[in-house]
Amino acid sequence: MLKKLAVIPELCSGCRMCELACAVHHFGVNNPKKAAIRVLITYPQPVVRMPIVCSQCRIPVCADSCPVGALRRTNGVVELHAEECVSCMKCVEACPFGAIYAHDDVDHPIKCDLCGGEPRCVATCPKGALRLIPEQSLGESRRINNVLSYAHMKEIEFMERGQKRIIQYAEIGKEEL
Amino acid sequence: MGIKSGYFKDHLHVDLSSGDCAHRVLTDGFLEAYIGGRGFGARLLWDNLRDRGAIDPRGEENLLVIAPGPLTGTYLPSSGKCSFASLSPATGVYGDSSLGGHFGIELRQTGTDLLSVTGRADSLSVLFVDEGQARIIAMPELQGKSCLEAEGMIKERLGTHEVKVAVIGPAGERGVGFACVNADWSRNAGRTGIGAVMGSKNLKAIVLRGSRDLPIHDLDGLMEESARAFSYMKNHKYFQMWQREGLMNVMEYANARGFLPTFNFKDATFSKIGRINGDTMVSGFKIGDSACFACSMSCGNTCLVKQGRYVGTVTEGPEYESCAMLGSNLGVENFDAVLRANQLCDELGMDTISTGNLVGAVIEGYEKGIISLADLDGNPIAWGDEAAILDLISRIALREGIGDVLADGALRVIRQWPEMDKIVLHVKGLEQSAYDSRAAASMALAYATSDIGAHHTRAWTIAKEIEQGDGWSDDEKVELVIYHQTLRPLFDMLGVCRLPWIELGLNERHYENFHRYVTGTDASLEELLERSNAIYDLTRLVNARMGMDRRSDTLPYKVCYNPVQTGPTAGKAIDPVEFGRLLDLYYRKRGWDANGLPPAAVEEMHSR
Repeated sequence: MLKKLAVIPELCSGCRMCELACAVHHFGVNNPKKAAIRVLITYPQPVVRMPIVCSQCRIPVCADSCPVGALRRTNGVVELHAEECVSCMKCVEACPFGAIYAHDDVDHPIKCDLCGGEPRCVATCPKGALRLIPEQSLGESRRINNVLSYAHMKEIEFMERGQKRIIQYAEIGKEEL
Repeated sequence: MGIKSGYFKDHLHVDLSSGDCAHRVLTDGFLEAYIGGRGFGARLLWDNLRDRGAIDPRGEENLLVIAPGPLTGTYLPSSGKCSFASLSPATGVYGDSSLGGHFGIELRQTGTDLLSVTGRADSLSVLFVDEGQARIIAMPELQGKSCLEAEGMIKERLGTHEVKVAVIGPAGERGVGFACVNADWSRNAGRTGIGAVMGSKNLKAIVLRGSRDLPIHDLDGLMEESARAFSYMKNHKYFQMWQREGLMNVMEYANARGFLPTFNFKDATFSKIGRINGDTMVSGFKIGDSACFACSMSCGNTCLVKQGRYVGTVTEGPEYESCAMLGSNLGVENFDAVLRANQLCDELGMDTISTGNLVGAVIEGYEKGIISLADLDGNPIAWGDEAAILDLISRIALREGIGDVLADGALRVIRQWPEMDKIVLHVKGLEQSAYDSRAAASMALAYATSDIGAHHTRAWTIAKEIEQGDGWSDDEKVELVIYHQTLRPLFDMLGVCRLPWIELGLNERHYENFHRYVTGTDASLEELLERSNAIYDLTRLVNARMGMDRRSDTLPYKVCYNPVQTGPTAGKAIDPVEFGRLLDLYYRKRGWDANGLPPAAVEEMHSR
């Protein structure tokens, strides 16, 4: 089963611990600029906080742009074979999402490898804004949030064993005039 | 054991008058004694003052010291802090303010442990520290621009989005005594008028771009220690509430306990609290969380006004201080108006605490006939009059009419209208924060003895005394204030946030370990606290040199003579006799003389 990094930008607080955890894991240094993930923050129009992550594309533009074929997709991960890389950084520019990174001290592009299946960014995110989920579940959070935002939620209060409880139900399709 | 890591040992000193940008090497002795952040600021300001005897805070010779700490930007909870220090235009004495967000780590990543700025640029300029290379760039086009607009223009001019910017607004340019420095759009070094110091130097912004590894002695050790700390915080019963409401949760708490500033500190509870509390924010306005670097608590909130008069208002926050001072303290009961006022202060680059405090004083002064309609330039103002309040805020920043008087802070207000001495709450010229101290003598003592004036973060003892302080002896109250005044500077010196400790009870021993893993020295917490305590003596010395003594450790009139009107603390006020006794005891315990002056040994120690 293919797994992918999913981002829920609404949950991101912009703390950049994902960057730090990535850098520590891959380079053993405390330097968020040496990470294969970067939190983009724009303010105030619009307000966006969002980690930019590699999508491990099925048709990887980064790999297409590589003149020496050092980027290859294996088991759902687009891997950089550093020993073949000529450090032209074409892939950094080619990625449609800007999700491959460069740093002066690092000879090759910094490219997400999903940490061999246990991404450190996912483990460290204090907000649950980053998740590793099956590819076929991508969009899950959007689907739920979108439907909930359309539904007119109604509430009924009732007593159960002396405790006040509330049940919510959605009234879908009744337009408010 | 000497320092093995944790510093680049680089001090970047910029003279805006000559245009010189010089790198100096920091010695191990200096690093060990002063640690970083606020410690560096205090020592540099003292050095600058020592030979001169006195300095005009708005003069060329005043020094602006910007310093993260050795833990800033490292892998541990809430390590995003950076200290801004200078002689304060509001008080005339030592001032500093701590800035969160991402500016501190970026400064460290340029390879700089300490940045000091002196002199005055010929025209409005920007200091760009690009990977350790400093440049002064004239940008007169930024004149009068709001913080947000200026930040956008700077990024446009430099052609990159990926820089960090600390910027002043129109208030800073015009020397408003409580102008702040704004970074990451809405994080502020808010208090003591550091923005006005930048303005007096013609320095509109400091821009950073850095990418260096932070020096850490034992990263594996640090990661293990941090994992324990993060895990403790995550499992704390209030952790989720902090993520949800952030500092806004304090609104209900302060109201319930009776220390919420209301109608310029007349009352300590607000009948309309439900309209400006955390629930109101979360259910109607909050669109996102906002955290400083490496912070899991994310106490910041981003709010949007989606309808009504202030539709389109976007603001970071409000946090408790802003909401209380611009809300209940002014009788404003509409949360959208609080957001608008907060946004206005952020754009103009003005401290929300001092602004709310002074506007509240003006409303009460006008109500009591001390300030006339003519003084108000013909614009009446009243509790909850949102339009008049917003208008007055803008006039302060632009120094229009009465705004020109208010812009110079509490002391100028009292000079203008001597009767306002009984109305405006301040210590040493710094307007009081949003914790009413009338029910907690230790908090009153904390405000009175704070080196920068009536600011709450020097020693926030109020919650503990109100909850547990019945029957406390003088000794216990004074000890608690001194403990706070000793531990809290250590957070500011290390470059970390105090909230994990004060709010979630993260054990302070962690910081001893963090410091050891980062620097490779084996200083115990007790040794570190000796150094932070020495900083409190040192800032006292700076203030003494500027002419302050016991006569400056005062309480606002209201705190002693106008008891709280309603609520759980009704009838409470501080007895001046009790206060005098506490102050005597406080000086004795600190080893200062009866006049509040530190012994000669302090000067010797900090002159090496």
